[in-house]
Amino acid sequence: MNLLNSCAPVESIQVLRSLRFAWLSIVRQPARACLAILGVAAVGALLFDMLLLSRGLVLSFRDLLDRSGFDVRVLATDAPPFTGPRIADATAVTSSLAALPELEAVLQIRVRDAQIVEAAAEPAGPRARLDRVDFIGADPQVRSMWTIVQGEDLPDRPESAPVLIVNEHLARKYGITPGSELLLRGRCESLSEAVPAVRFRIVGIADFPFDSTTARTVAGTLSWAERLCAGEGQDRAEMLLVRSKPEVGAFTAAAAIRAAHPDLHVVTNDELIERFSRVEFSYFRQISAVLATVTLFFGFLLIAVLLTVSVNQRLGEIAALRALGLSRSRVSAGVLWESVMLVGAGGLLALPLGAALSVWLDAILRTLPGLPADLHFFVFEPRALYLYLLLLTVASLGAAVYPMRIVAVLPIAATLRREVVS
Amino acid sequence: MSTPIVEARNVSRVFPMAAGPIAALRNVTLRIEPGEYMGVVGPSGCGKSTLLHVLGCVDVPTGGDVLFQGRDVGALPDAERSRLRLREIGFVFQRFFLLPMLTAWENVELPQAEAGVSRAERRERTKELLAYVGLSARAGHRPSELSGGEMQRVAIARALANRPRLLLADEPTGELDQATGDQIVGLLDRLHADGTAVVVVTHDPAVASRARRIIRMRDGGIEEESIP
Repeated sequence: MNLLNSCAPVESIQVLRSLRFAWLSIVRQPARACLAILGVAAVGALLFDMLLLSRGLVLSFRDLLDRSGFDVRVLATDAPPFTGPRIADATAVTSSLAALPELEAVLQIRVRDAQIVEAAAEPAGPRARLDRVDFIGADPQVRSMWTIVQGEDLPDRPESAPVLIVNEHLARKYGITPGSELLLRGRCESLSEAVPAVRFRIVGIADFPFDSTTARTVAGTLSWAERLCAGEGQDRAEMLLVRSKPEVGAFTAAAAIRAAHPDLHVVTNDELIERFSRVEFSYFRQISAVLATVTLFFGFLLIAVLLTVSVNQRLGEIAALRALGLSRSRVSAGVLWESVMLVGAGGLLALPLGAALSVWLDAILRTLPGLPADLHFFVFEPRALYLYLLLLTVASLGAAVYPMRIVAVLPIAATLRREVVS
Repeated sequence: MSTPIVEARNVSRVFPMAAGPIAALRNVTLRIEPGEYMGVVGPSGCGKSTLLHVLGCVDVPTGGDVLFQGRDVGALPDAERSRLRLREIGFVFQRFFLLPMLTAWENVELPQAEAGVSRAERRERTKELLAYVGLSARAGHRPSELSGGEMQRVAIARALANRPRLLLADEPTGELDQATGDQIVGLLDRLHADGTAVVVVTHDPAVASRARRIIRMRDGGIEEESIP
C-alpha cells in the first residue's frame, strides 16, 4: 500500500519548507551570502538615503514654515522675501488685514541693517567689532515667529523702552545674557550721515527658525526698528505674516486678503512649498531619482548575478531533486526565497547604515553658506520607508526571475547526464 | 498477465545537435513487471541512461509511448510527472546527489515531506529506512561527513522514502570501491527480495549478474535479453 496517496500536500507547510530550504542553501555558502548581504546593504543604504533626500528639503522647509506659526505670507511682489520692494503704508495695510474675519493675527515684519557698537563681552577676532546684525522689527502684541530659549519675550507694549531679543549665535559670540546691553547703530541706505547709536537691553535669547548657523539676528519692536534709521523706512514693511483662523484655513484666508488687497502678493505655506518643490528643490529630487535608480539597478544586478552563479553551481543537485519528484514550481520558489532572504537581510542592515550615512551627508550639506541652520536635506518620513521596502521587494523579485527561469526550464535528463560526464 | 509498472512501446529518443540529430534510443520495447529485477548493460553511449530516464519519467520520448501503470507519460503535464516520480519511482544516481546542507536523516525525510507525509509518519519511516541501510548511527551526519558507500546508502534510503514501486539505479557502484559496491549490490538484492521492482544500469558484470533479467543495449536498441 502506498501510504502517500491519502496525504495531500499542505501549501503553508510547503512554503515553510521552501523557506528553510532557501535558508540552508544560503548558509551553505557563507562567503557568497555575506557578499550578497553586504552588497545589498551598501546599495540599500544609498537607496534609502536618496529616498530621504528626494523630499527631505521639502519636508524640512515645511517644518520651518509651520514652526513660525503663520500660514500665509503677504509681500509687495512675487519676489522672494527680503529681496523685493517693501509693502508701502504697512501700518494701514496691517490694520486692514487684521479686520478681516478670516484672519486670526497679522504680524508686520520690518528688517533693518544695524552694526554692533558695543556689547557685553569682547568677541574673538580682529573684525568682530564691525559685526552687522539683522534687526527684525515686529509687533510684540502678536505672537511672534521665534521661540524664546532663555529670558523672556518682548514686552507687549509697542512703545516700551529699547529692548531686544537676540539669537543664540550672537549671544554666544558676545557673551550676551538676559539683562546685558547691546549698543547698535542703524546702517541706513538713504542717510549719508551716521545715525545715533541706540543702547538696547537684552530681555531674551531666542531661536529664529530661518537663521543660518552664523546668522546674527536681533528682534525688537517696530518702533525701535524705525528709530534705528530715524524713520527712514517710511512705514514700509518687508512682509506681513498672517495666521488664519483654524476653522477657515490658509486657502480661504489668502483669498480674502487677495480680494481686499489685489495689489499685494499673497502666498500660503502650501503654495510656497509647492513652488519650492517644483523649482528650487527640484535639483535634489532629480539627482536623488537618478542615483536611486542607479543604486537599485546595481543591487538588482548583484543579486541576479550571485543567484545565477549559485544556481549554475547546483544544476546537478537541482536536476536530481527534480528527478526525485520536486516540482518545477517548488525548486523555482526556493530560488525566489533565496533572493528575498538575501535582499531582505541586506535591506534591513541598510537601514541603520543609511540612517548613519544620511546624518553624515546632512551635516556636510548643511555647511553650505546661508542655509537656515534647521533646514535638513535628509528627512525621514514613513513614506520613504514604504517606498524603500517596495523597491527592494521589486528588486528581489526581479533579480530572481532569470535564475528561476534557469531552474524552471532545466532539462533533467540532460543535466544529470552532463553532471556524470563532467 | 499483470499490468506492468512501466512499459515502453517502440520508444525513440532523438537529441537535436548542431552537428545533426543523435538517436539515443531506437524503437525500444520493454515491460517491467512488479517486483522485477532487471540489469541494463552495454557500452558507453549505447542509451542505457537515456532508457532509464525515459522509464523514470524524467525525459519524454520523441517517438513511441511510455506507459506508467497504464498511463501515457508523454500526455501528462510536467507537474503530474513530478508527482508520479515523487510517489511511485525512486532514483539512485552514480554521484549520489545528496543535499550537502542536510543531514542523512533530513535527506531521507525530504521526499516524504515533499509528498506531504505527516511528521510522525516521516519520523517512523526515516528511522526504519536508515536502519534498513545500516546507517542509524549516522543519521545526524551531513554528506561531507560520510564515506562514498554511506552516501550511496543514504541515497538508496532516500529513493525508498515514499515506498516506490520502481527503483531506478544509474551506475550505483560507479564511484565506489569493490567492497563498498558489493554492499550496495547486496542492498539492492534485499530490496528486490522485499518486493520492489529494481532496474540497474551498470558497466559492472558482477552487478548485472545479480539481476533476474539482463538487457544488453547497443546503438540505442536492445541487442540481447537474457536471464542469467
